[in-house]
Parts: sequence; structure tokens; C-alpha cells
Amino acid sequence: MTAASPDTRAIPSSWTNADGGKEALEALETYKKKDPSKVVVRFRAIGNAPIMRQNFYKITASNRFQAVIQFLRKELGWKAGDPLYTYINMAFSPAPDDTVSNLFKSFQTDGHLIVNYSTTAAWG
Amino acid sequence: MSTYGARHAPSAFSTPASIALFRRLTWEGTVPLEVRVDPKELPANSNRGLECYFLQAPRVSYLPLLIPEIRSYLLDVVFDEAGGRVVKEEEWWFEREDGGLVKWHWPIGLIYDTHAVSLSASASAPSSSSSAPVPLKLTLHLASPPTDKLLLQPSAEACKQAFMGQLKEADFIRWGNTKRMTGLRKQDQDGLWDGIKEHDFDAYWRIASKITPTPAPLSGGRSPSPSPVPPSSASMVHTRPPDRDAASAVRSVPARIYLPDGPVLQDLVPPGAVRTLGDFLRAHLPLLFPLDRPDRKPLAYALVQGVRCPGDAEMAWLGACMAGADGWVNVCVGVEGA
Repeated sequence: MTAASPDTRAIPSSWTNADGGKEALEALETYKKKDPSKVVVRFRAIGNAPIMRQNFYKITASNRFQAVIQFLRKELGWKAGDPLYTYINMAFSPAPDDTVSNLFKSFQTDGHLIVNYSTTAAWG
Repeated sequence: MSTYGARHAPSAFSTPASIALFRRLTWEGTVPLEVRVDPKELPANSNRGLECYFLQAPRVSYLPLLIPEIRSYLLDVVFDEAGGRVVKEEEWWFEREDGGLVKWHWPIGLIYDTHAVSLSASASAPSSSSSAPVPLKLTLHLASPPTDKLLLQPSAEACKQAFMGQLKEADFIRWGNTKRMTGLRKQDQDGLWDGIKEHDFDAYWRIASKITPTPAPLSGGRSPSPSPVPPSSASMVHTRPPDRDAASAVRSVPARIYLPDGPVLQDLVPPGAVRTLGDFLRAHLPLLFPLDRPDRKPLAYALVQGVRCPGDAEMAWLGACMAGADGWVNVCVGVEGA
């Protein structure tokens, strides 16, 4: 492909969106910055699941829910393969790649994100 | 951005016929995929050079549901008999051309749209003037799925569970509980997934209409006349009383914003306060959708089901007519000619 010389292609800058493009990309960078704030996650055992001595923790909001699941498994001393089902508000299992921040904004109760855990499937 | 001169009365898009039409259009939307088997993983004696399979996949479907079709192509054309016996489809998984993991539990249309908006923000973006849809290139690996990074098993069953989770989450967002979903019989819950698997619009909507709100005509003054409902299959989409299940009566519309290469934003969208898509975008992305520059070119655009969506589209209507089969309105934001 032969590139045309820049001079012959120059068009008035007001016709192009170069500035707008730069502004948009800068805006994207701003929105990519991770939210360093923390939210309170409260764990509640269901059925035969062991109860935790401490049941609420401050967790970084930008973490994925998967990190919450892994944290919970560690706290419970669960081995790989041990069954653990997690739910929000005794209602549904969130996608593991959703962020704690998103879940908190949509489902918090009195400033807590309530995570129920069970060793058997409870709410599908 | 008022590109549309004549404003449509909201009710024009909320008649039973147009609700059924937009749901049908959403359901029938497809995207082109180019699936290439990783050449390093082809079994011995495979027919090399043919390990690439092109298909149009439904937007509302999921990658694990395409495996049987891809598999039968590979067995017919690419693998020899011995090769066909070696491969185990439980271990198959997909990767993007650039090596990024594919969120295989996302609807295929969402995977396609997030890729499209990522391109819009990259320096190597092709001219946006070419309107022909470009196939999304995926690499199919035949072994060793990175389960820790995929987060879930790459199987149709795990995908179904994730889909059910999304439906329940959407239900909770709308009504503050999951009674509509849990009120479905097990066979109806399974029927939703089977409807996607078989790509059967009527089978899916026969059940989905019990959990999806319906937009009521919003124009003040004229009260909606009791709609004459012919007992056809299409009419099942909107046979419930409009008040209790009206799209505008929900607490919040299940909606997420996807930015190029992340992040994903989710928040409550009460349709009374956050009435339009423009309101939603301005509230969460004021730098990309500023209020104070109506005379300048927009910085960004929003895709819903692959369609550039005007800012005055109503969130309640989008939730009822252009949500995916999992109940979510996915808004993918791209940047204008960077």
C-alpha cells in the first residue's frame, strides 16, 4: 500500500474528529482506573455449611466475585473440588467475573453485600 | 444527538405488533464467526488447510452450543477416523485471535459487540465506513482448557447454569425478588435454555413472556384500548395484564455498560429516574457522553444488539424488547473515529 504524502491529504482539522478521538481515549483511560474503595461483604452460612467466626469483611470493590469465592474457600479451609455454592441475597449466583463493586451497587442491603454459601445447591 | 427529526410517539414502538417484531429481530440477529482450530493441536493426519469453519451464529446463543455443529464439520472434513476418536470435546475452548480469553458464558452477540467496540478504540482500527460485518476470528483449542482463568467448566451444562444465574439476577433487579423465575416449573426453566439450544423463538417466548415485562403504551391521554388478541403463537408474547408487569413498573432495568477492553459497569436503572439510554450513559460516562456539547460531534456511540442506539431510546422499552435471552440489556460503548 503506498501512503499518500501527508500534505496532499491534509483537510481542515475541524472536519476530522482527531481531537474528539483523543478526548474519548483519555476518557476511557479514566474509566479503566480501578476503584480502590472497599465495601463490606457479609457471609451467611446456609444449611450444613460451617459458620465463620468472623462473618464480615472489607473487600476491595474492584475485585471480581471469583476473588470473594476464593477468599471464602480459604477461610473455610476448603480443598479444591470441595463443593461450595455462593448466592447473593438468597436468590441467585452471580457470574464469577462480575465485580464486587457492581454487585454492591445493585444488591447491597444496609451497606452490606450479603453472600450466602452452601455445600449443596440451594437456589439453583 | 437528535439525528432523527420526527420524534416517534413512544406508543408507536409499544404496540403488541412492534413488541413482537423487535423481540423477533433481536432473536434472529446473527453474527459471522471464523473458527480456526489451533494448527498445533490438530490430530495427526488431519486435512490441513481446511481447519477453518465459518458460520453465522445467533446473537442470543452461546459458544458451547456451537460445538456440535463445529464438531461434525471437523469430523467430516478435517480429522481422519483415528483423529476423531482422540479428540475430547469436553476439553475444547476458545481464544480470541490476539490470544485473549473468550468469555464463553457470554451471549455470542455480546462477545462480537465487545470485540467491535474494542477495535473502535484501538489505533489499528479499520475505517469505520466499511459497513460489511467482519467475521470475529476465534481459535478453537482441542485440549487443556485453562479452567482457572475461564472460571467455569467450558461445558454446555456449566453455561446453562450461568445463564440461569443471569436470568435470576435480572429477575431480582426488576422486582426485588426472584419469584417469577422460581415460580416457573422445572420443565419451563429448562425450556428457556432448550429454546435457545433449538433456536426456537416461540418455544422460548412461550415461557419468557411469564418473566419479561411488557411495555405499555406511554402516551398520555388515550388509554390503551383493550387489545384484540388473536390466539396465535405470536400473541403469547403479550397476553398478560399490562399494569402488574408493565416495563415501566419495574424497580430497575437489568442493564450493563461494556467499555472497550473493560470495565463492565452495572448499576440500578429505575426507569422513572433514568428514563432514556442517554440518561443512563450521561450518568455513568459523563466524559464520553457530555451534556454540554450538543453542537459538536459525539465522542462515543452505544450498540445494543449490534445496533447503534439513539440516546432517546427508553430504558424500559430496551429492557422489554431488546434484552438478550438472559434478560439483560447489554450496552457496548465504542468511540467515534479515533
